Amino acid sequence: MKVREIMTKDLTAVEADLPVRELIFIFENAEMPNTPVVDDDGILIGFISEKDLIRAALPGYFELLHSASFIPDMNQLSTKLLQIADEPIGNYMRRDVHYVTEDDDDLRAADLVIRQGVKNLPVVNAEGRLVGRVRRIDLLRQLL
Amino acid sequence: MIVTVTLNPAVDKMYWVERLKVCDVTEEEFLTTATRSGSSAGGKGVNMSVFLSQMGMDNVAMGFVGGHAGHVIIRDLRDRDVTTNFVWIREETRTNVTVLEKGHEYVPLLIGESGPNVSALELERFRRKFKRMLSRASWVVLAGSVPLGVDAGIYRELASLAKEAGAKVVVSARGEALLQTFQASPYLVKPDTRVRRSLMGKDLASSEKIIEAGRQIAALGAEMVVISHEVTGDIAVTKDAVLVIKTPVAPREFRNLVGADDVFLAGILYQLVEGAPVETALRFGLAAGLASAESDEKVCGEMDRIQAEMEKVTVERVEREGA
Repeated sequence: MKVREIMTKDLTAVEADLPVRELIFIFENAEMPNTPVVDDDGILIGFISEKDLIRAALPGYFELLHSASFIPDMNQLSTKLLQIADEPIGNYMRRDVHYVTEDDDDLRAADLVIRQGVKNLPVVNAEGRLVGRVRRIDLLRQLL
Repeated sequence: MIVTVTLNPAVDKMYWVERLKVCDVTEEEFLTTATRSGSSAGGKGVNMSVFLSQMGMDNVAMGFVGGHAGHVIIRDLRDRDVTTNFVWIREETRTNVTVLEKGHEYVPLLIGESGPNVSALELERFRRKFKRMLSRASWVVLAGSVPLGVDAGIYRELASLAKEAGAKVVVSARGEALLQTFQASPYLVKPDTRVRRSLMGKDLASSEKIIEAGRQIAALGAEMVVISHEVTGDIAVTKDAVLVIKTPVAPREFRNLVGADDVFLAGILYQLVEGAPVETALRFGLAAGLASAESDEKVCGEMDRIQAEMEKVTVERVEREGA
């Protein structure tokens, strides 16, 4: 089955110059854990998730730690998040985006979702424009 | 691709009741239990998108959504295979209530909310989304009311942007928002005359007055103006013709009028996009509107039923300028 047959036809996406605080609003209200980032022509240029924002709010040495219990308190995270709240999300998005095209097989989408551990993948057309997303639930629904 | 814009969408909540008890009832009777109920995504452009998707026509629904009602709209559109591209706002999307009393479905009780306030920042986010969609759009539909906080000139602005990008514009609105859009010379205009039967300061009491108003709008650049005349009839004014679209179907046969007018316009648009002549588009449009009005479902896109309804619709070219 082709990706176009199972994808969710939603074009919710953000621009790279969107402030972090606006992205948090979108994540909360649209109930999306992540979103594609597109340019002014709708071409997919990046991807950003709640995880990326949390990582951005953590101290630089966090990657060296084994557990979040080493973080002294939540205020530290809050202070850092406030510092970056008005920064463009382009500073924190991932540019190496995992995506599928609408003509790809569902197997390729499933493979990426499983191996990359992502909840959904952007779907683009032949021109690289966002046309939807494949959610894990879209794949599961197809399998039933 | 067709882009439909519904800046003030709604959840359409519908109740079917045996008897609508509004007043003059005893205390024991104050509760009316619905025999059936349902919720669906609503708003003029949204209804048009649902119909176009049922026809298999690629389209994207845009606008503002917020809160729980916003999720109901997105979920319903997703289930109906409509591509969505909405801006999330801080305030809750409105809910419009319709109560249909058995035997009197053609005169429903309608309760509409004004809807949320849209902030300048939210509007700016919509503008960017809209501009981004224009490179893919061949037709743009601007339909329904303008939300609180948004200037009445918004449709004129969006229509101008769409035309610059090479898209044809369809407008279905009322009041100042509609009047201002005329400056952008949209391709097809369908004034919403449900609340007030007047246009550009003139009442639309007779077919002569409707034709006069239609000609005025066409003179400003519109290719086609469609104005409701009666519940089961409309008048279309083009640059060179006046066409009367009619059906003998009695309004008493209607089971659900909500959205039927939007399906009428969507049916016209569907045929125009397919390259059909104006007469065919108008006939198909009214047939589609009738099929929806005669079914419980708000939007009926069953081709067999629409084609059967086409037998009941006539399009008469009553006048040709210069003839």
